[in-house]
Amino acid sequence: MLILKHHQLIIGLFISLIAQLLYADLPQTIPAPGYSPLNFSAPEPGSYVLSPLGQAANGLVLTTENTKIELHDLMGDKIVLLSFIYSTCSDVNGCPLATAVFHKIKNRLKKEPQLANQLRLLTLSFNPEHDTPKAMKHYAKGLQDSLLDWQFLTTKSEQELQPILQNYRQSIQKIVDEKGQFTGTFSHILRVYLIDKNKQLRNIYSVSFLHADTLINDVKTLLADGGVQTPKKSAIDLKDTSYYQAGDNKLAYDKENYQTQSIALVDRKGQVTHLLDTINNPPLGLPKLPIPKNNLITEAKISLGKKLFYDRRLSINNTFSCAMCHIPEQGFSSNEMATAVGIEGRTVRRNSPTLYNVGYFQTLFHDGRETTLEQQVWGPLLAHNEMANPSIGYVIEKIKRLPEYQGLFEKTFDRPAGMETIGQAIASYQRTLNAADSDFDRWYFAQQNNALTQSAQKGYQVFVGKGQCNHCHLISSSDALFTDNQFHNTGVGYEKAMKIQSTTIKVQLAPGVFTQVDSQVIESVSENKPNDLGRYEVTQNPDDRWKYKTPSLRNISLTAPYMHDGSISTLEQVIHFYNQGGIANDTLDLNIKPLNLTDEEIKNLVEFLKSLKGSNVHQLISDAYAQQVGDTIENVQ
Amino acid sequence: MKKRLKRAEYSWQYFLKVCAFTVATLSISAPSNADETCQSPYMAKITGQEDFVYVWTLGMQGIGDEQDKLVTVDVNPKSKTYGKVINSLSVGGRNEAHHSGFTDDRKFLWAGGLDTNKIFIFDVHTNPNKPTLYKTITNFVAKSGGIVGPHTTYALPGRMMITGLSNNKDHGGRTALVEYTNEGEYISTHWTPTDSNLQGAVKTGKFADGYGYDIRVLPRKNAMFTSSFTGWSNYMMDFGKMLKDPEAMKHFGNTVVQWDLHARQPKKVLDVPGAPLEIRCAWNPKHDYCFTTTALTSKIWLIYQDKKGQWQSKDVADIADPGAIPLPVDISIQSDDNLLWVNTFMDGTTRAFDISDPFKPKQVFEKKIAAQVNMVSSSWDGKRLYYTSSLLANWDKKGKDNEQFLKLYHWNGKTLSEQFSIDFIKEKLGRAHQMRFGAYSLYANKAVPLKNLVLNQSILNNKK
Repeated sequence: MLILKHHQLIIGLFISLIAQLLYADLPQTIPAPGYSPLNFSAPEPGSYVLSPLGQAANGLVLTTENTKIELHDLMGDKIVLLSFIYSTCSDVNGCPLATAVFHKIKNRLKKEPQLANQLRLLTLSFNPEHDTPKAMKHYAKGLQDSLLDWQFLTTKSEQELQPILQNYRQSIQKIVDEKGQFTGTFSHILRVYLIDKNKQLRNIYSVSFLHADTLINDVKTLLADGGVQTPKKSAIDLKDTSYYQAGDNKLAYDKENYQTQSIALVDRKGQVTHLLDTINNPPLGLPKLPIPKNNLITEAKISLGKKLFYDRRLSINNTFSCAMCHIPEQGFSSNEMATAVGIEGRTVRRNSPTLYNVGYFQTLFHDGRETTLEQQVWGPLLAHNEMANPSIGYVIEKIKRLPEYQGLFEKTFDRPAGMETIGQAIASYQRTLNAADSDFDRWYFAQQNNALTQSAQKGYQVFVGKGQCNHCHLISSSDALFTDNQFHNTGVGYEKAMKIQSTTIKVQLAPGVFTQVDSQVIESVSENKPNDLGRYEVTQNPDDRWKYKTPSLRNISLTAPYMHDGSISTLEQVIHFYNQGGIANDTLDLNIKPLNLTDEEIKNLVEFLKSLKGSNVHQLISDAYAQQVGDTIENVQ
Repeated sequence: MKKRLKRAEYSWQYFLKVCAFTVATLSISAPSNADETCQSPYMAKITGQEDFVYVWTLGMQGIGDEQDKLVTVDVNPKSKTYGKVINSLSVGGRNEAHHSGFTDDRKFLWAGGLDTNKIFIFDVHTNPNKPTLYKTITNFVAKSGGIVGPHTTYALPGRMMITGLSNNKDHGGRTALVEYTNEGEYISTHWTPTDSNLQGAVKTGKFADGYGYDIRVLPRKNAMFTSSFTGWSNYMMDFGKMLKDPEAMKHFGNTVVQWDLHARQPKKVLDVPGAPLEIRCAWNPKHDYCFTTTALTSKIWLIYQDKKGQWQSKDVADIADPGAIPLPVDISIQSDDNLLWVNTFMDGTTRAFDISDPFKPKQVFEKKIAAQVNMVSSSWDGKRLYYTSSLLANWDKKGKDNEQFLKLYHWNGKTLSEQFSIDFIKEKLGRAHQMRFGAYSLYANKAVPLKNLVLNQSILNNKK
């Protein structure tokens, strides 16, 4: 037997009227989803998070009995749904929608009295002039009952109303006629607010979003576990070294069957390592690290240097730290571009060199223009196309102002931040990035016969034999830096400077998809290419044109792309380059000549190079992950 | 007073009796679940003549004050300053000004800087012809957990959803959505799914790159979609340098993600290879689909719900000659869902596709706008199309082809006719990027029918 109560009839009639209207001749006025069954399955209560949106504001209101009460008195004990309406509102998708949805909620909760007991509905008028307590009492007729606490409120005056509207950002405007007379109508944004028992806003609903099903589920979500994201224990096994690699691996991107193997940045977690160990006890295969007498290594300096190294605020516009070009999981280099970019995307001419074992190098930068790490630090800090700080003093004063550095320099150096101490701190951290004890090291220096694969062992024979690689990439009887710390012309720089560009350029568009693009098209969006003459730029000696420093080969499998300009993508391609004798030019290094290596020899040589990855790189990367990146914390404006 | 009180006393019942009338006539209540053709469905729309176009403009070295600025252009043909710049508000620095979006109450315009990660919040309601800088968010990266490159600022009820493009760890493409309150307070970060942490989403194809770019929602389907571009390293790099760098070219997005809008949870990762950029969803409530275009592979993709209710992706048309990289950039869907405008940057051309059959778009019109063109914004009635020039500071053309402008065209269904053109270099402004429309009527308290939002002098006086 169907017996409808008065208010049910009203709602039923109301919805029926709307339906008739909409399907008649008013396609532009579509009833809000709140009037119809939900068009999708609402997410299960408790399966999602409703993050706090701020404190629900207080304010003085009047009940239908004309009793003064604070809004906060109606919050705290129950979850609250608050809607702003005016009683004469006749926009079908305006206030009536809010009331209709509340009404639906009330009916739905008849079957869930426990839930109903924990919820309060508040309908607050923003038209106190007309919506007196008495008027609201009439408005509430047929809507209230004992099953659910639904209160109808108004305010004494617009003065008392305004701060409430302002705090809830409930935008309303009176509509006046041409004579300036209030028409009794408001322009307003329909909003309903979900407020938890801590008087925190947890959701805001508008026309397209207001539906009894989702609102009830949101209430249940708050009741289930507060709907707050609880900090979960990391699922990452910090000993799992697979997390300590480039997180956006593009291996085989040239193939159509490429598949992503991306690592979530939230999984980029690590733990602090005792970095001093890499200096006090260098990994197998590395000699004793030279430490300058004027910058003896300390834990404090390493720690401070690391903090500075990962601080993006050490640039003119707070976007660049040292680590943006020397990315730990990308070989303390950058795998994602051939040559670096700096502030505002400014072009840097050369590939970001790896910082692994940088403390052993006699000269720094590809052209060897700097001699100590302490001094080198200031090059990128001040370079216009790198971190672009306008002056040394600017950097020093900026660091002094940052709260996180208060007292750190004094504690570490017994003096404030300055040009020397900043250099010393960062240099100290860089000196700890020593990675060796590779398969090769254990095979070669520790005589562990099984440490190196047969293929890599054969590759070693090519390296020191037919390939003559060891002429520049030195190995001694006790250790190996794989560099002679000298400068050589391989022809790569010469070709870039002197070769006439081809008419088309191969460009990749998607995995396995390439096209040939007219080079003139590319030139139309290219800046003037900066030239690069290599070591000559330091010595001004014509014989030094296009010479670059011999890089170490340690950890080389982590530092693609290769050569000073990142122009070669893979180790195989690098060996092919040398196998053909580099690129002929007047000052080509005498060591570079066709090698006549077979494919098998090339394959073995690649295996050998891969065997130079240090066993402790994941510890250095993990330690880097554990360091918080420095970004602007204060909201200054 | 008594009369009005009486009306109020019977208001609920009264409403029921009169609703037949009000549904038919009341378009006064500004909030509507619609907007100009690419806006959030949560905000008020301008269905008639817009009064202003706000152009979020990149500062340009050697031009004017070299700073990013919000440029206000008078576009009401009845105004004496029609087609003129009437205000320019510099914000300090070059932040890689890019996209902007209104809050749901349309009182504030949020404009992001892809480089410095600042978000500038402009008050556009107090004085719509002279916006003021209300607030600047400077700690977006720290608050969000390392998100870089605030791109789309998209209105949701009482809050803004901001798509990131990059991160502060490697300046690559892995990123997230970041949610803020309208007041500018951080709420939460929603990471785009990656292989190691799909967050419950289904990787439907080969890719789950975690990249981001644009966002659109279909509230009636509880669906939210995000597309994928590239990280800071690429979008800030000189365009030519990047095209010639094989490593850089590997780092573009190949995915569109379908999210549960209410729960903010990713549901499906769809393969859309070649950097899908702007997303535009159909307006008709029965049209359960959205379009996107891929910048590198030059295709129109349809994101649609199949008969089983599953969201799918399908490439449905080529744009120009994909092999020549025409670089489709901004797109704009007409409010009747019949036409999709597609701009291609490299040839400076705008193209119209008939999308009445969304599975078979057909190009029906094309016109060269300039040496380069990026954004296109359509009025709700589709009769006015505004174009701007700049893509990204370091991607724009060099030399004489670096034309920077705002142009208005009228579309009569067959041809585009230019109405005015403002040279942003000659005006010492910079690189013209995204446009948003403003109208006095949005904030008027006069009983002005929304169908006739032509600037009313009395309103103007009232606002002054």
